[in-house]
Amino acid sequence: MISDELQDSAALYVLGSLDGAEAAAFEVSLKANSELRTLVAELREAASAMALSAPGRTPSAGLKQKVLRDIAAEKSSDLGDMAGGKRRGSSSAWAWAIAAMLMLFSGFLVYDRWQLRREIAQAREIDPLMQASLVALAPAKGAPAEARATVAWEPGRQTGVIKITGLPAAGTGKDYQLWAVDADHKDPVSAGIIHVDANGVAQVRFRTIAEARHVKAFAISLEREGGVPKAEGPILLVGSTT
Amino acid sequence: MAKQTRGMQANTAQQKADEQLMARIAQGDQVAFSALYDRLSGPLFSLAFKMLGNAAEAEDALQEVCLQIWRRAAAYDSSQSSVFSWAVLLTRGKVIDRLRARGRRARVISASIEDEGNLIDPTDASTAETAADNMNRNEEATRVRTVLGGLPPDQRQAIEMAFFSELTHHEIAAQLNQPLGTIKARIRRGMLRLRDGLRRSA
Repeated sequence: MISDELQDSAALYVLGSLDGAEAAAFEVSLKANSELRTLVAELREAASAMALSAPGRTPSAGLKQKVLRDIAAEKSSDLGDMAGGKRRGSSSAWAWAIAAMLMLFSGFLVYDRWQLRREIAQAREIDPLMQASLVALAPAKGAPAEARATVAWEPGRQTGVIKITGLPAAGTGKDYQLWAVDADHKDPVSAGIIHVDANGVAQVRFRTIAEARHVKAFAISLEREGGVPKAEGPILLVGSTT
Repeated sequence: MAKQTRGMQANTAQQKADEQLMARIAQGDQVAFSALYDRLSGPLFSLAFKMLGNAAEAEDALQEVCLQIWRRAAAYDSSQSSVFSWAVLLTRGKVIDRLRARGRRARVISASIEDEGNLIDPTDASTAETAADNMNRNEEATRVRTVLGGLPPDQRQAIEMAFFSELTHHEIAAQLNQPLGTIKARIRRGMLRLRDGLRRSA
């Protein structure tokens, strides 16, 4: 028997109406409850059917040709990659390149990375759409040496989860802010404010405020309370996606 | 009863056919992709258009979704969702990304069934879809609209606001000037009724 409260959350979850923290909490329940997973699957199908209630329209005939050209190009590109090895890069300026280099002073936190990878694998069993990549964030110069973070980022869904340990409270009038350094943006893109608990731990789901399709690094900085549109405070943790 | 049985068989057969297409797409079969495009592009475009309110943007979103389907076909798991449901989720996610990137909200839909008469003409030659596909889609659309139309208006309004916009339940409660608990209950009841209604009408 699923409680009304969980049914509420299931309905909101499939409609995408839970906020990040609520969705993360619900996913914990989802992992542990097969009956709840069945309900979510049923409600997801019902929600999807609502798409059919939209007034019927057809895309232009030219769109299909464009799409078929795209996938044909991608297929031939894949074949080329198989033959010659893939090499991709971006020449765009990366304002925080120097900051990212700081991560070289610290090693990757192997255990955290392994643990998060395992959590992602479990989550993928529940949600086949999840295709996350992992990024380890290490302390920059001057940051608490024990601070660590791991980001699981899903570019396709433009959402991620960050897990932080060893980061003391931000202090009065300050907040930690997460940033995505994206090749398509001149400045780092904000991914929101993060509050650590009394033990210096946080695990939250986040989204960037603007589309970030080519994220090169994630970083956490200490900013004014409430966050800032453009990073101005010291960088505490940083990690490159490559 | 006979009609219901036929409907269920048709749905199951369609799902199987979609799954077979996905398996072929995962192997790089462009012909299979073309067939899936013919089947899904109409409903996905209609959804994107309803949320974005702009044909060019809706086409851009659909183009991105198609590429996503092509790239991620191997990740599709039929035990988790139907192909249609998977594609709708991808489309909705893509559209919401666009809305957020532009800092705007989806057009919040009214409680009434809009443009019911604006169904696609099954004989419309401008589309690459077959007339049979269009007729099936019209039947399905009519079925979904009928079930939605049978919901209590407040429940229907709440679930439509949630589905066709990027509003959280907190925002829906604020927009409708209702307590959060009331909105949660409306959405739960509405979704359960929708699920049950679609089952009965299949």
